[in-house]
Amino acid sequence: MEINDFSEELNKKIECIKTKVLSGEISLLDIELASIFENLKDSLNIYNINNYSITYKSAFQLLSQKFEELKIFLSYLDNKDKFLAFLKTNPKDTEIFQLFEDCWRNPFTIDVLSLKFLKYSTDRLATKKEEPLVFKPIDKMEIKENFLLELPSERFTEKMLAFYEKIKNRLPCLYDEIYEDEHDQLRVFENFVFLLHLLQLGKIKYQKETNFLYL
Amino acid sequence: MNELTVLMHLLSKRVNVSQIGSTQEEILNALNVKDKNRAIYFQNIIRNLSNYLELLGLEIRFNPLNSYWYISFDPETTELLSSNPFEGNPRLAATLFSTLISCFTSSGETTIQKVKEIRKKKGVLEDLKELKHMGFVNLERNLNKVSLTPLVGYLVDLEKLFLKIALKLKD
Repeated sequence: MEINDFSEELNKKIECIKTKVLSGEISLLDIELASIFENLKDSLNIYNINNYSITYKSAFQLLSQKFEELKIFLSYLDNKDKFLAFLKTNPKDTEIFQLFEDCWRNPFTIDVLSLKFLKYSTDRLATKKEEPLVFKPIDKMEIKENFLLELPSERFTEKMLAFYEKIKNRLPCLYDEIYEDEHDQLRVFENFVFLLHLLQLGKIKYQKETNFLYL
Repeated sequence: MNELTVLMHLLSKRVNVSQIGSTQEEILNALNVKDKNRAIYFQNIIRNLSNYLELLGLEIRFNPLNSYWYISFDPETTELLSSNPFEGNPRLAATLFSTLISCFTSSGETTIQKVKEIRKKKGVLEDLKELKHMGFVNLERNLNKVSLTPLVGYLVDLEKLFLKIALKLKD
C-alpha cells in the first residue's frame, strides 16, 4: 500500500498563511481553506494519522479564525448606510463601472428543452431498433447465348387478329362484356391494347353514348 | 427521463423577459417530492446537478430578487462571452448602481427623487428610462416609484458586488 504523508507540506502551507495574515498582507476571507481539509481527508490512513491529527488541529484553528473574521464582516455588511456613505463620497462613474467588473453573469437558457421535447426524445431513443438490412446476392438467371431479350413466341398482329376473331361474333355488345370472361388482369390489359389498335384500324367501332362496340 | 432531465428543463426555461428558471417549490412539485426532508432533498439534487454542470462551464445560481433557481455560465465562460451590457456606458452602470443601493436601503422600492439625490448628476430620469427599456428597472413616473426587476438578480452577482463594495470601504 502506498503511504502518502502530506502533513509536513500542509503544515508549511498553514504557517505561510498565518504569517501573511498576521503581517496584514492578506485577509483570511480571501483564502480558500477547503483544499487543505480535502487533502487531509483524501490521504488519511492508519500510518499518517498521528501527524495528520496535529495538522488538522492547526487547520481547524485557521478555520475558526476565518469564521470570526466572517462574523465581523457580516455585521459590517448589515450596516446598509455604509453603502450610501460610499455614494456620498462622489465616486466617478468609471469607478462604479469597475465595481461591476467580474460581477456580470450570463444566464443559460434553452427554450427548446421543453418537457414535451424531452419526452419525445426519450420515446425515440427507447424505441427498439429494427434489424439491419441484410443484402443477399440474387440468383443468376440463365440467359440464351444469342439474345439478350426474349422475344414473344407469337407476333403482335397475329395475337391481335386472334383476339378479333374471338370477339367479332359477339358484337355488337357492351364494352364491358368483352372482358367478362377474363379474370387474369394481365390478359385484360393485353386485350384492352388489342381493342385500342382494332378501333384505330377501324375494324371495330365504338359508340360513346351507348357504350357499345360494333362492326 | 430522470430527475436531472426535469431539473435541466426547469432551471433553463425562460418564463418571460425578466424571469428564468424555477422556484424551489416548483421544482419539488415537478419531481413529486413529498418527504419531510424536502429541503435537504432539494439541496442534494441541486448539488448533484451542479457537479455535472461544472464540467460544461455552467453553474446553478439563486436569484435573491425573486427566489428563482437558474443556470448560469460560470465566471470564466461569462468573461469570454463579454456579458457586460454597459460596455462603453459607465454612466448607466452608475445610475443602476445608485438605484440598486437606494432600493437596498429602502426595503426593495425607492423614489425617483431619492435616486436623483444620491446620484447627484443631471439626466437621471433619462437614465432610468433607458434602464427600464433594458429591463433592469420598473418605473412608475406618476407614483414617483422605482424598483428593480428580477433581471438584475440574473445578470449581476449581487453578493459579489456588495462584497466588493464592502471590501473597498474597508480599505
